[in-house]
Amino acid sequence: MIYDLIIIGGGPAGITAGIYAARKKLKTLLITKEWGGQMTKATEIGNWPGTKMISGNDLIKQMSEHLRMFEIEIKENKEAIDMDKKNDIFTVRDNDQTYEAKAVIIATGKIPRVLNIPGEKEYRGKGVSFCATCDAPMFKNKEVAVVGGGNAGFATAIDLIKYAKKIYILEFFPEMKGDLVTKEKLEKTGKVEFHTNVAVKEIKGNKFMESLTYEDRKTSKDHEIKVEGVFISIGMMPKVGFAQKLVELNKIGEIVIDKDNYTKTPGLFAAGDITDIKYEQIVIASGEGAKAALAATEYLKGK
Amino acid sequence: MVKVYSTPTCPYCVTLKNFLKERNIQFEDIDVSQNEIAQKEMIEKSGQYGVPVVDIDGEIIIGFDQDKIKKLLKIE
Repeated sequence: MIYDLIIIGGGPAGITAGIYAARKKLKTLLITKEWGGQMTKATEIGNWPGTKMISGNDLIKQMSEHLRMFEIEIKENKEAIDMDKKNDIFTVRDNDQTYEAKAVIIATGKIPRVLNIPGEKEYRGKGVSFCATCDAPMFKNKEVAVVGGGNAGFATAIDLIKYAKKIYILEFFPEMKGDLVTKEKLEKTGKVEFHTNVAVKEIKGNKFMESLTYEDRKTSKDHEIKVEGVFISIGMMPKVGFAQKLVELNKIGEIVIDKDNYTKTPGLFAAGDITDIKYEQIVIASGEGAKAALAATEYLKGK
Repeated sequence: MVKVYSTPTCPYCVTLKNFLKERNIQFEDIDVSQNEIAQKEMIEKSGQYGVPVVDIDGEIIIGFDQDKIKKLLKIE
């Protein structure tokens, strides 16, 4: 069975593409590991036109329910791991099956960027966390570190203030990039230490995390701080390994597309945060999903 | 008996609890951000701090792992 279109990704871009494709009567399959991706972390969305305030979870629930109204095949809890194109037909493989289609839209978005240092994987959930809103309560009266001095790192520190005894904010570059107003708010608590020029090197401990070592990039001296938790907030990174051969990537690994969401491979489109468009917003990702589906529809007419 | 250890502001916990509610699975909703005894219990059972943690008749699942939960509860 060859689909007209396979959409990979269940965030605003993928879902909107699915709605547009279904309404154009394309035989469509949507594959996604989870619904919403980064959106689920947004507790208060106030810029989705028509809705004064809504949580990411509620909005993505509405979107996925809206999608299910249409004739579209959905494979949930599945992750695309490989993809190829042979004489005009794409093959997409997930954990246990291979599917074929005439066109594909990649809308897999981004995941938290990792440090790639020893101990980061071993101590995940045992001190290492990427979600302060989830795990902050477990660090009551403990000393913790936040890696990343941008707004994401500052927001993480704000979440931790209520619980942690002391917070080290560690920034790789010479300056903290987060908003000054938040920095001042953090400084007033007297619980936060700001360190710049920090290259985090290793996370250590026994059963649970106990310390973290870093190099001061100015003095190149090594330091160790006793912290039982480290919250890594150094931005997001694209995840597109499965389609590496078929797309061109920019410096930070985003898929290069033209204004009609075409990638370098005919019939392969991309939409949302995974692409090299400038701004990353829910409403923009949705718009891009619609554009990609309309472009795919036009492409398929020619087939 | 199903127990869910979670914190109120954890998005993955909300997704998990909705998953169970949609399938009318009864569960004890334990907020570890307020209850330190429950927090220790969760850490002992799962050997880690991350939420959500699900205890299905003694079987411990870390995070929202749909496949494992479906298997243990024999649901779709």
